[in-house]
Amino acid sequence: MELNRILTTILLIAVIIISCSCNSVKKISTKYYDENKIALDSIEHNFKILYQQKPFSIEFTDKSFNYVSIEIITDTLKYIYEFGINETRLIDTLTKYHFNEKAIVDLFSQMRSIHCTWINYLDYYVDEKKEALIFISMRPVGLSKPFTNKKYYIITYFSQPQYFDNEGKLLVKRKRQRIRKINGEIFWRINDKVCYSISGRFR
Amino acid sequence: MILSKIYVRVFFLISICFSVLNVSVASSEICTDSDTSITSSKWQAIAFIKTIDTLPSSIYWPNVKPKLFLENLRSNIYSPLKIYEGISTNFCGYAALSYLLLHDDPVGYAKFMIQLFQQGEATMGKVLFHPSTAINQTAGALKFKGVLDIRPADQMWFLSLADHFKGYLNVFDHRYDAGDEDKLWASVNYAKFNRMVRELLHYKVDAKGSDMIHPGTSNTYEYIKSKMKSGVMVLYVNNTFLYKKKHTALKLGFPTHYIILQDINKTGETITITYWDYGGRSLRQMTPAFLRRITFGISHCTKKLNGVE
Repeated sequence: MELNRILTTILLIAVIIISCSCNSVKKISTKYYDENKIALDSIEHNFKILYQQKPFSIEFTDKSFNYVSIEIITDTLKYIYEFGINETRLIDTLTKYHFNEKAIVDLFSQMRSIHCTWINYLDYYVDEKKEALIFISMRPVGLSKPFTNKKYYIITYFSQPQYFDNEGKLLVKRKRQRIRKINGEIFWRINDKVCYSISGRFR
Repeated sequence: MILSKIYVRVFFLISICFSVLNVSVASSEICTDSDTSITSSKWQAIAFIKTIDTLPSSIYWPNVKPKLFLENLRSNIYSPLKIYEGISTNFCGYAALSYLLLHDDPVGYAKFMIQLFQQGEATMGKVLFHPSTAINQTAGALKFKGVLDIRPADQMWFLSLADHFKGYLNVFDHRYDAGDEDKLWASVNYAKFNRMVRELLHYKVDAKGSDMIHPGTSNTYEYIKSKMKSGVMVLYVNNTFLYKKKHTALKLGFPTHYIILQDINKTGETITITYWDYGGRSLRQMTPAFLRRITFGISHCTKKLNGVE
């Protein structure tokens, strides 16, 4: 009897943990965007301005967001550096490549505040024409499903309104009901220009 | 599920056997044959491609638009560094091979591609390519792969290579189905990569390393540095370390990516490498330990003798 009670308790706890972590993907992601809309839109806006001055991407390489990798893109070479967030080498490098250091450091802080792991421009093609979107990955805090890898929230910002099917899946074109994949993932509508996905990898 | 688990176990057993085999094979295979083929220059290739204004559609490649095909060839000849394997594909081995080809024999490449487009089959080196119907239908229709979307010649080339050359990683996925460009069907194990270079190009390959065990060099940096002076270096590396995509503590300890090493230098305990991959050149710094951790294969490619080297 005693053993039965213990087993029942363990089973109940397990069911609660699993059900807590099995919220609908859609609910989590739209909620996440709504809760962090101001910060996300600001990161996107600042990145867009800074990228126009000098192309780059930012990646936080560790779980505690203490190390940052910056890819500096030139016509001939992509320089990939990794620094501790408080290292003086970081500022020295930004200065060397003529970045607006304060604006970049502010962007790091904004990204850290919402656990944003990566931001970059990504090319895609429509009718053989090159388009670009801003790709932002977040590492969610809190519980995830037991025995599974943590997933990342991905938010994409398009420069033009996109087409979606009845379920909200991103389409290639309105007339052709073909689903567009970005980085191998299906994306869902948040608004006309912003989509989300959940992915096992952040880039 | 049970079936897939069995597949995985069988796959790992086979891969361990082949890996051990590859260590001995790869490090002992030093091709000493000479070749009388003439290697061409970029300017010869430009002169050749300028003679072709237009091409009629090909009955063999229904989804390849001739205009885009020619633009793609021109782009590869003028800017060989820009050849790109596409987002999420397993074409990096074929892209690294293309780097070698486009730098060594761009005329041979251009003629081969034109023949493949017009006749549905063509020969390069000792190999006759006769792509399957699935490949004919797919080339030009791959989507969501970045700039590869608008490069049908590269799609033809990568798919034809994957269709023709098979290694032990391709055993369970031998025939092309839609989406296989991202899967094991397209993957390139180390021995397969070296075999492709030997059979297709005017290079001999001195390979050290394997799919699972690091090369047996006492000092990876010194070995690479010493070899760089006399040939092109291709490194077979662990991409989960080089380009982190997850924050998991547990990472697969296998190589999955090929890069062309262009320069390597050491200052103190910092190694700076310049390499080509993903359609461009990158520069990054690392420790000697990190270099050793990511490096599984070192292929030293030198020109075959033409009488006069």
